[in-house]
Amino acid sequence: MPYTRDTEVVQRLKPEAMTQAEQEALAGIDDLDFEIFQHKMNMIALEGKETTMKLGASTGMRWGDVAFGIYTGLGDLAVVATGIWFHAVLGQIPVKFIVKHWLKDETVGVRPGDSYFFNDPFYSGVHAADMGLCVPVFAEGELICFVGANVHTGENGSAEPGGQPIAAKSRYEEGLMVPPIKVGENYTLREDIMTMLGTATRDPRTMVLDIKARLAACRIAERRIQEMVADKGLAFFRGALRKILTTTAKAARKKVSLLHDGIYRQPRFMDIVGNEEKIIKIGICLEKKGDKLKLTFDGVSPMLDAHPQNTFFQGIIGLAMVYFCGWFFYDLPANNALLEALDWEFPARTVVNASGDVPTALAPAIQTCFVHGIFLIGARMTYNLDPERAVASWFSGFGVPYFGGFNQWEEPVADISPELNATGAGARPDMDGVSGAGAFFATMSDCSDVETTEADRPFLYLFRNYFKHSYGAGKYRGGAGVGFGVSIHHVPWLAMGGLGYGSKYPATLGIFGGYAVPPGFIQTVHGSDVKKHLADSDRSLPVNLDQLYGEANPEKGNRALHNITMGIKPFLNGDTFYMPAGGGAGYGDVLERDPQAVMDDLRSGLASRWMAENLYKVAFDPETLVVDLEATKQLRQKAFEERKQRGVPMAEFEETWSKQHPPRDILKYFGGYPHPKPKMDFGLPM
Amino acid sequence: MKIRITEYLEIDLDQKKWCCQRCGQMLVDARENYKKGCLVAEKPLEEVYPALTEGQPYGFRPDPNFCRIVEFYCPACGVMIENEYLPPGHPITHDIQIDLDALIRSAT
Ligand SMILES: [Zn+2]
Repeated sequence: MPYTRDTEVVQRLKPEAMTQAEQEALAGIDDLDFEIFQHKMNMIALEGKETTMKLGASTGMRWGDVAFGIYTGLGDLAVVATGIWFHAVLGQIPVKFIVKHWLKDETVGVRPGDSYFFNDPFYSGVHAADMGLCVPVFAEGELICFVGANVHTGENGSAEPGGQPIAAKSRYEEGLMVPPIKVGENYTLREDIMTMLGTATRDPRTMVLDIKARLAACRIAERRIQEMVADKGLAFFRGALRKILTTTAKAARKKVSLLHDGIYRQPRFMDIVGNEEKIIKIGICLEKKGDKLKLTFDGVSPMLDAHPQNTFFQGIIGLAMVYFCGWFFYDLPANNALLEALDWEFPARTVVNASGDVPTALAPAIQTCFVHGIFLIGARMTYNLDPERAVASWFSGFGVPYFGGFNQWEEPVADISPELNATGAGARPDMDGVSGAGAFFATMSDCSDVETTEADRPFLYLFRNYFKHSYGAGKYRGGAGVGFGVSIHHVPWLAMGGLGYGSKYPATLGIFGGYAVPPGFIQTVHGSDVKKHLADSDRSLPVNLDQLYGEANPEKGNRALHNITMGIKPFLNGDTFYMPAGGGAGYGDVLERDPQAVMDDLRSGLASRWMAENLYKVAFDPETLVVDLEATKQLRQKAFEERKQRGVPMAEFEETWSKQHPPRDILKYFGGYPHPKPKMDFGLPM
Repeated sequence: MKIRITEYLEIDLDQKKWCCQRCGQMLVDARENYKKGCLVAEKPLEEVYPALTEGQPYGFRPDPNFCRIVEFYCPACGVMIENEYLPPGHPITHDIQIDLDALIRSAT
């Protein structure tokens, strides 16, 4: 093979063609045995996920950014335990790469006791911070399947700590990117390769411990599978694993067929390129016809030559599966056979279909920006079939600090903090979203205890809790997000930055008239006197993010507000850093919100008097919070009438609206407003 | 016969029209963008988002250079059927384009 990336294997996201052996085995499988088999396999995968989490070191691994999969001998992912649903279709590519390239290669080979590591995002689909390890499983002398764990370890020796360098101008600044490589033989990891992988990063202890955690979990799963094969036979195992895929594909297409035929569209906008405040677009179309969905694009900004908000197309399909596995096909097994219900077509050289050497380290931003559009489309497409699940979106914009330096134990640290796993859920058709629910792309992950984070990170948390300007309003409101503040503690300095989008254009939009989540941004105070206030037990210090911005905040120092994407810079002991992990989006018209629910939010601190009066139009006694229902009804009737006065027919509206235009400078990367065109083809390889 | 499409929209299969689910008002031909049957207005950002950081480059209010709110109301009852967050002047989205013939076939 040429020593370059394999553009063929990444196309193989759908299940491989069935082998003769699988076909024969499939025929003889009893339904009851199959049910028991599926349950056992799910338990084996779950044990793999839990073991990985218990043994690992990185923030991602410890708090659940983990997928443990069981793959067929051809590399299809049949069973997975995770809340990180993109791994359900992306985890298989490295395995298929191994089957394609190393199985028959004399210098590498695939033998019992081998283990393979990988983190090249071209194969893993997301970004180099996501790293994986898999092992082949043999029984009766034959290769029967693979098991593997994919986890966000983060630090990979990129130009900035934590594996997501904002300033990367090409993939050569994005750190270590390993295509599937053998790292162990005879049930033993190779120390020379561990030394290389450790040395390549700022935090070798985390790198190697995470690899060992994945491997330990794989070995347990390998043993369990071999026990099962000894009990049920090789043919049964092979056939049943394939049967999971065939039944999933059939059920997926059946479920799609229940939706109304039509075309659904959603333009998506992102407000950051590198760390420049510029706007780019992803125009999304999803066509539903019969028992198939087809994803196409209608105007996407060109690929960014020297900024890392690009993604490979496989990452887009991966993130689409976050919606499909977790929301639409919630009642089906998560595996790559779900893709039998989805076709796709990607425009070349756009931010959703990167090629060549462009950087992709912030692919998660462009991917989540995309899939938020799929959530909006999904709600509109599925309301008729299953209205209870036509929900508003969870927070989609990230909002995560990254840092590098030494901790209080004089060990190197380079990681992200876990609050991105504490965002708010979207509002639902019948209730408010859940506050601090998790991350939509990592639904089984957790945000750690503050004390646990403080134990080996050089932070003193000042507060971490819900705040009222974190969610979208509506008939039902989004769940609140989490605001937090830290002071650099125990160490002389630490380098910190922020990742995300949505400081200018909201990251998370509402549905059916619900409002978007407000913008998020960072506040820093260099030379802060917060530790003096703490030493004096000053009770006037802010205790949540809402209180930071008032005159009453006694903290003095060099205060500055920043975009949620903030390049890394040094912070000295005592300096403070404040950031939100956003809440969920709103559902439905604010004027239909139950006035009593507005009072409940006032009482709990999740709404302001301004919101109650101006947004929700509730008449109430501010002392007792007793609602005047009749006066509220009149206020709202007046508001409905005002809308009718202000509103005009669409054609008339468009006449004046279409004459407006964003300032030219923020369209630098847009690619032609409002309908971006792909870049010219210079005959470069795809 | 009416088919519910979203929280606020139905399609009347006999009339082949989009309708407001709240008040029954007929909006526009069901093959068209339902937004053509709505009243449309730009909602000032400050009516939804208090910034709380006056004079600063960041706050809890979207930046009007990047983002505007366009709202779509039922012309009869005034309920907000949908909204869109768009950069200034960006075309309005035809977000739901139902295959009406297929819908009629599946309903009968
Ligand atoms: Zn109406």
